[in-house]
Amino acid sequence: MSEATVSIRDLGKSFGGRAVLSHISSEVRPGDVVGVIGKNGAGKTTLLETVLGFSPPSSGSARIFGEDCLGMSAAVKARIGFVPQQDELLPTLNGRAQLSLTGSFYRHWDKALLERLAREWEVPLDRRASTLSGGERQKLSTLLALGNRPDLLVLDEPVASLDPLARRRFLQQLLEIASDSSRAVIFSSHIVSDLERVANRIWIVREGQLLWDGETDALKQSVRRLHVRAHHALPASLGFSRAPLSERRGPDGRTATVTVRDCSEQEVHATAARLQADIESEGLGLEDIFLEIHA
Amino acid sequence: MFILDPHSSVPIYQQLVEQVRRLVVGGQLAAGTELPSVREMAQEHTVHPMTISKAYSQLEAEGILERRRGKPMAVAEQKKGHSSRAARLKQLEPQLEQLALSARQLELSAEEVIEQLKKKLGDRS
Repeated sequence: MSEATVSIRDLGKSFGGRAVLSHISSEVRPGDVVGVIGKNGAGKTTLLETVLGFSPPSSGSARIFGEDCLGMSAAVKARIGFVPQQDELLPTLNGRAQLSLTGSFYRHWDKALLERLAREWEVPLDRRASTLSGGERQKLSTLLALGNRPDLLVLDEPVASLDPLARRRFLQQLLEIASDSSRAVIFSSHIVSDLERVANRIWIVREGQLLWDGETDALKQSVRRLHVRAHHALPASLGFSRAPLSERRGPDGRTATVTVRDCSEQEVHATAARLQADIESEGLGLEDIFLEIHA
Repeated sequence: MFILDPHSSVPIYQQLVEQVRRLVVGGQLAAGTELPSVREMAQEHTVHPMTISKAYSQLEAEGILERRRGKPMAVAEQKKGHSSRAARLKQLEPQLEQLALSARQLELSAEEVIEQLKKKLGDRS
């Protein structure tokens, strides 16, 4: 197998004694598009920024293209593109000047690609950044990260201000990168439906931990919502082998809605028999899974 | 040609597998019909290319599609009977797994279960 693009080992990060990330381990491989979801304050931005070596981890480590994130060589840095949540555009420069300024730091800078994308994405390159709309700023900020044709592109909430058409074009560009199969993308977004489309893998970050790290398809196949109905009051514990992700009881105590993970059909049948109840099993889309996990 | 809903609870690759399977069985996709490349499909539906290639690989394993050197994937010749035997057996796998698990839970021997299964299969023929 080819070298991992990113490799994270037992990563932890604390600010002033408060743990923001703990025990995060994962790997990103070439061709991956990893979608990162989590509530506000779950630690997504800290995770992305710590992996990129913006500040030292409190424990564990992260490596990018085999180099420790705190001591990356210029050659490795030149293979990374990053779009921060808050853009860092210089207000008095117009788009074209921003692009060429950033490009001057790189040996390889694909001007033709940026000109083409700027046209396709309708980014007005001749206007100063201070006069651009939120969406235009985001698009320009993304262009800045694409100019070096990065092998690892990391985006922190890149699409929040984009209209649906711009978002779709942006997603197609991400897939273009992933089609290369030597390049990888990590991006966090609250627009779960976008991630569901293009991400082959999902990280769900909850309270600083990776609650799920795996294929989008596997996540959908693993999580199910069970509707339990009985003619008598259900016991306090329904007795699933793994603690359910969420559980709600009906007002009369005879019904329950339970979201479970990795629960086989056998276990569902056995549980139904044991509780003398009917259990109906329902699959969930990514957004519902996210909501159930945080219910 | 295909309708893929990324927001469904059914994984995207599975939706594609099921649609191709149906169209081939139903005769709408004749043997030799070429499918769009992984890249084209991924771009058209804005989904990850791995999702498409996973579906194509599964369809290839089932004998529904065939991979040809330097050419797009195409619908394979569907032979009734022997050649699709493996594919049909594969369809039975979830039930077989379930049966095996139940048999173990009930502490029944393989011989006993096979005996019963043979009777059942015999009844139907």
